[in-house]
Amino acid sequence: MLRRLVVPLAVLLSLCPGPGAHGTDLPSPPSVWFEAEFFHHILHWTPAPNQSHSSYYEVEIHKYGQGLWESVPNCNLSLVPSCDVTLVTLDLYNCSGYRARVRTVDGGRHSLWTKTETRFTKDDVTLTVGSVNLEMHGSFILGKIQPPRPLLAPAGDTYEQVFPCFREYEIAIRKAPGNYTFTNKKVKQENFSFPVSGEEGTFCVKVKPSVASRVNKGMWSKEQCIVLSKQYFTATNLSICFVFVLLLCGALAYCLALQLYVRRRGKLPTVLVFPKPSPFSLGSQLPCPDTLDTIHPLDAEAFLKVTPELRNSRLHSSTDSGFGSAKPSLQTEEPPFLLPAAQPQEHGPLEKGEPPELQDSCSHGSSNSTDSGICLQEPSLSPGTRPTWEQPERSAGQGQDDSGIGLVRNSEGQPGDTQGGSALGHVSAPGPEGPEEEDPAMMAFQGYLKQTRCMEEKATKAGCLEEEYPLTPNCLGSKFRTCLDAEAGWPLPVLAKGYLRQDPAGTTLAPPEAPAAQWKQPVEEWPLSALTTYGDLEIPDWSCTPDRAPLDCAAAAGSLLGSFDSDLVTLPLISSLHSNE
Amino acid sequence: MKVQGVPLWLLGIAFVLCSGHPRGLRRCPISMDMRHLQESFQDIQRAIQANDTFQNITILSALDSLQGIKMLDVCCVTRSLLAFYMDKVFKDHQEPDPHILRRISSIANSFLYMQKTVQQCQVQRQCPCREEATNVTKIIHNNYNQLEARVAAIKSLGELNVFLAWISENHQDGSAA
Repeated sequence: MLRRLVVPLAVLLSLCPGPGAHGTDLPSPPSVWFEAEFFHHILHWTPAPNQSHSSYYEVEIHKYGQGLWESVPNCNLSLVPSCDVTLVTLDLYNCSGYRARVRTVDGGRHSLWTKTETRFTKDDVTLTVGSVNLEMHGSFILGKIQPPRPLLAPAGDTYEQVFPCFREYEIAIRKAPGNYTFTNKKVKQENFSFPVSGEEGTFCVKVKPSVASRVNKGMWSKEQCIVLSKQYFTATNLSICFVFVLLLCGALAYCLALQLYVRRRGKLPTVLVFPKPSPFSLGSQLPCPDTLDTIHPLDAEAFLKVTPELRNSRLHSSTDSGFGSAKPSLQTEEPPFLLPAAQPQEHGPLEKGEPPELQDSCSHGSSNSTDSGICLQEPSLSPGTRPTWEQPERSAGQGQDDSGIGLVRNSEGQPGDTQGGSALGHVSAPGPEGPEEEDPAMMAFQGYLKQTRCMEEKATKAGCLEEEYPLTPNCLGSKFRTCLDAEAGWPLPVLAKGYLRQDPAGTTLAPPEAPAAQWKQPVEEWPLSALTTYGDLEIPDWSCTPDRAPLDCAAAAGSLLGSFDSDLVTLPLISSLHSNE
Repeated sequence: MKVQGVPLWLLGIAFVLCSGHPRGLRRCPISMDMRHLQESFQDIQRAIQANDTFQNITILSALDSLQGIKMLDVCCVTRSLLAFYMDKVFKDHQEPDPHILRRISSIANSFLYMQKTVQQCQVQRQCPCREEATNVTKIIHNNYNQLEARVAAIKSLGELNVFLAWISENHQDGSAA
């Protein structure tokens, strides 16, 4: 009986498939494991051997502690041996873990499940960084680590919140083309820096994150490089250059301003600008055709009506520069107020060929100057001519300050009286001769000669003077005479002593040489006074400072000297006049 | 002066008590290389968890929401769990594999050291147990008792990684391993 049932049973068993017939037919994946980064969870498995083209895989996920396995739709029907299960494992960082299983399916058949060997927990997540930024700050390279920011991460599950404590980063640095130097230096924050003072080239950095309280593995970030070049245009260098440029511009501006200022300062007002006088020359004492100066001749008769005190007063030249600035040429221009002269007016205007005595030059009506009318007359070299000139007597105490009438004629070149006054060229007591014999009414007092604007005269005078001017304080007087001799055709200009400073003690003036000596002091002063009176000085004339007057005036242009010479010319005459008085 | 000194003395004590209470567990740090323990467990985790056949049940499920445990309860919960593992899990598990047994023994010795540290904090009254902490301990014990001892022990050993990570986050100071 049993023999009859064995055969049908065997046939029946061969026809009916067993419970494991599906699993045995299809091989299952040998292994399944998780590979995860921060909110990037990938389930991997090894492909089943001898797969057919129609086979595919099924994946199920199970949360540890819960009952059921959940299928992963996006992993089903997958032909590749991996699947992204991030969306079904978002609670990974807040639970005990997940388990997964995979099986092969081919048609109606499927393999056995292959499970993960361990539970998939937060410890299995490989830590990464989002990015590394490098910046150059001075001599340091600053690095900023950006944690990962996956798109699938929920709002409250940032990297810093999931791993709040003990975050660390290992820094690896290399200088291209060298290799990395792993110093195992870890930083405990997302910022780091390292010095690179004075170095050039390319520096590359990579970072590996970790958590000190966890066993999570870390992954090195991508290499981030920065190129360092020679910093020429650093903030320090640029600031130094800028300051240097500013200083240079400031210095240039200062020099330019100073130069402009000096030039401007040297320029005199136009009304005081006189042409450069020529060296003194008697022959060149032509009447200046300058028509700009208008001389208003004084009526001699009107002058006679002047009080005797005024007429006879001593002319004190104080510190005024009237004397020094007078020129002989002015004699020809100005008809100053006429004084009663003892001698008839035989002298005419100062012209070439005339005798040197030009006493009456002022009496001629050449009034083309704006001078006050007091002009000087050249000293009379002819013994016969003794022009006298009287001035109103002045007390000793008066006339200390120059009133504008600064010239005194002395007879025969004798200096004026030295009584009273402190000015130069004052009228001394009349000498034994001269003024008494002269016609006081018609004496042409030329006063101080106004400097002409006649270029020819001045040029001639300057030339004369420049040739022979010695470097002595007495040069003026002596050389003046020389010039006079040279220009024989010209009438001798009046050796005006100008304003002879008188000694308050009443020291008499010295003989004709004395003017030179007396001029010592005035020489020191006349440049300055001359400058102030006439202003006929250009910049070079300013070198004639009072301290260096004697020497420098000699070397200066002839303008000042020319004017001075005219005064010198008149001085002796005034002295002689005074002595006559 | 005595009358003035008494209030100051009392104020000082009150200040100390008030300032000491909120610190809680921070005054009971555990100086242990938790990282070494975690690495040791990772070597045997696969083998132990592979033997866990009941995946639908967890023993330490209450620790899944560890963020809910307050700082004041950390010391009490730590002390309770250390006692659970030392008194039940390690005693109920029979490990045939010597390699795994060696690692389990190392972990047990570390737990013994931590247990003594926490007991000192308890003596100093720096480890109070509130009701919330007591409730967490009861849940763990209930889950363990629902399973067979051998199965529960295996499962508890398989969940050591959760407990070690929790201790590391709550008891470590700035100078971690």
